[in-house]
Amino acid sequence: MSDIPRTRFQKLRPYALLLALYASLATPSWAVPSFARQTGMACAACHTVYPELTPFGREFKLNGYVLDNMKQITGITTDARSTLSLNSIPPISMMLQISYTHTGAPLPDSALTGAQAKNGDVLFPQQASFFYAGKIADNLGAFVQLTYDGVADSFGFDNTDIRYARHVTLGSLDGNKNLVIGVTLNNNPTVQDPWNTTQAWGFPYSGSSVAPGPNASTKLDSGGIGQSAAGLGVYAWWHHSLYAELTLYSAALRGGAHPLDSTQAAVIHGVSPYWRLAYEYRWNRNSLMFGTYGIDAKMHPGAGHALQGPTDEYLDVAGDMQYQYIGENNIFTLMSTYIHENQTLNASVADGLAANDHNSLKTLKVVGEYYYQRMIGGAVGYFDTTGTQDALLYPAGAASGSFLNSPDSRGEIFEVNYLPWLNTKLQLQYVHYDRFNGGTSNYDLGPSAAPYGTTGYVAGRSASDNDTLYVLAWLNF
Amino acid sequence: MKLRHVLTLTLGACVGLGSIAQAQNLANKQAQAELKATINNCAVCHGLHGQSVSPTFPNLAAQQPVYIENQLHAFKNQTRGDPDAQAFMWGMASQLTDQKIAELAHYWSTQPPPKPRAGDPKLIAQGRAIFTKGIPTEGVPPCASCHGPDAAGRGMFPRLAGQHQQYLLKQLLVIQTALRSAPVMHGIIKDLTRDQMQAVTTYLASL
Repeated sequence: MSDIPRTRFQKLRPYALLLALYASLATPSWAVPSFARQTGMACAACHTVYPELTPFGREFKLNGYVLDNMKQITGITTDARSTLSLNSIPPISMMLQISYTHTGAPLPDSALTGAQAKNGDVLFPQQASFFYAGKIADNLGAFVQLTYDGVADSFGFDNTDIRYARHVTLGSLDGNKNLVIGVTLNNNPTVQDPWNTTQAWGFPYSGSSVAPGPNASTKLDSGGIGQSAAGLGVYAWWHHSLYAELTLYSAALRGGAHPLDSTQAAVIHGVSPYWRLAYEYRWNRNSLMFGTYGIDAKMHPGAGHALQGPTDEYLDVAGDMQYQYIGENNIFTLMSTYIHENQTLNASVADGLAANDHNSLKTLKVVGEYYYQRMIGGAVGYFDTTGTQDALLYPAGAASGSFLNSPDSRGEIFEVNYLPWLNTKLQLQYVHYDRFNGGTSNYDLGPSAAPYGTTGYVAGRSASDNDTLYVLAWLNF
Repeated sequence: MKLRHVLTLTLGACVGLGSIAQAQNLANKQAQAELKATINNCAVCHGLHGQSVSPTFPNLAAQQPVYIENQLHAFKNQTRGDPDAQAFMWGMASQLTDQKIAELAHYWSTQPPPKPRAGDPKLIAQGRAIFTKGIPTEGVPPCASCHGPDAAGRGMFPRLAGQHQQYLLKQLLVIQTALRSAPVMHGIIKDLTRDQMQAVTTYLASL
């Protein structure tokens, strides 16, 4: 363990981590009626149950969100080149999430030592989003989300994916193979991905934004780079089966100091390459995908430290699979991803934020989902993150800390969903932790921690104290 | 008329005709590009040559052009209302012009027919009997009398040969329950049992 004195930032770090993890748990994954308005097609064309995409939904996305069945405002040149093709009605929509969260045991009060926070939190709304999602011009489309966050009480730019795609038929129209080539400009690694195994559109599609979350997750799994990066990439989709993509991300933080300086946190140094390779095979009503993806991100910790000198490097290499069966009445999906992250923490060690030069994190996620007639169904998920102990990266601390300085967390997620209409989801979710921040009991401050008070918050928290009951009304219109 | 005037008029006519030809050429080029784009859109579900992977989407290859046109008009006018028609085709057909519908019908109808799919021989034999002879005791006429002896279709009566078995079964069910309007078929299949539907559709998929 290092004897570096704790800075003010380090003292605040557990709370900052807690806030960041709370935010990361609220996976921003939506489906939008904008697309239904533009295409005239029901949600069921593109989604099994939102936001999970069907093969047709994947095609729609990879072809640039441009399929339209709406009257267009058009313009052409004298040589018949199209100069404008604009939806006569803008594909705009809204998403509203109202939620209730109850944890196994109350959390500590955020201001009064020894006191506990109220257990049972209603967020009205948890999030409210406006979308422009659809065609901008021939071959050019966008998914743009503006979100009001009920916890942060702020309104801001959220997930965005602008893409240009061309459908190329090799040879004549009678050719057997076809190719989609595209360019994506987005602000969150994996938001451009057409499968639901990756973070931006992965399970759980929505979770509590107030319940505690584990202290560690890989860069690609946490969404930690999301909305603070700009990525420009190219992709190819060969004959509805083989997908390849390379996107380069650079720092693009919103708000705060610009040009970026030491007051900003987690700033990408240079450009970080993100790659994706996947193969999908479709037969009858089934589809099966195997893939790999990853990112090599060099970052400055910032947050009081100069954006110069050594950097931290996060190398994430992941494999994933997705199986879908879409029957007339029954829909079944099995998804899994495994991410291995190598951390080289030159900057964090120099800045006193990490104890080890090299750490690793490994995350496994598996989920099975079933729906009957897209109306009622549920999911069972398993998650497991293990990694290197680090005294400074994972310090002890009430509720959010780790007495063992460990990033290990493991648990299960159970969900029951009822959709009276295709655009309305009522969700009951229960998250159970077998292990939280390295321990099953007294994980945060250890067994010798003294209670803060007889009637207030009691230290020595168990993993199951963070078990979370989450009730959600999720409306898209 | 003086020679100068004749030459001027001739030259003017040539330029005019040339411009018309050029405009026509551009219009044709644009129309071809639009048709190709539309076919590519259809092909996402129905396959580039009208042979789909998922039985949710019917094979269109070698389908009767009149039937394709009728269905596209029914989707566009929202008079065919079965669930998949509403979910997918009401939107997809909403902006199609009569000319585009005719062009699409021509394209799909001229694609090579789908290959036969193997099925349970017992079911196939039972289905063949229903298709070719009907069920006289139950007042069900032979399907072949409208759809043709080889189930290749005829005019407004669709080709059934080589179609996905599950697609055909679903159509029989939605026609029987009147979710899909098909006036001729309603009376014919009103008493057809699920087992009989299974047999006849397995036979048709095997052709």
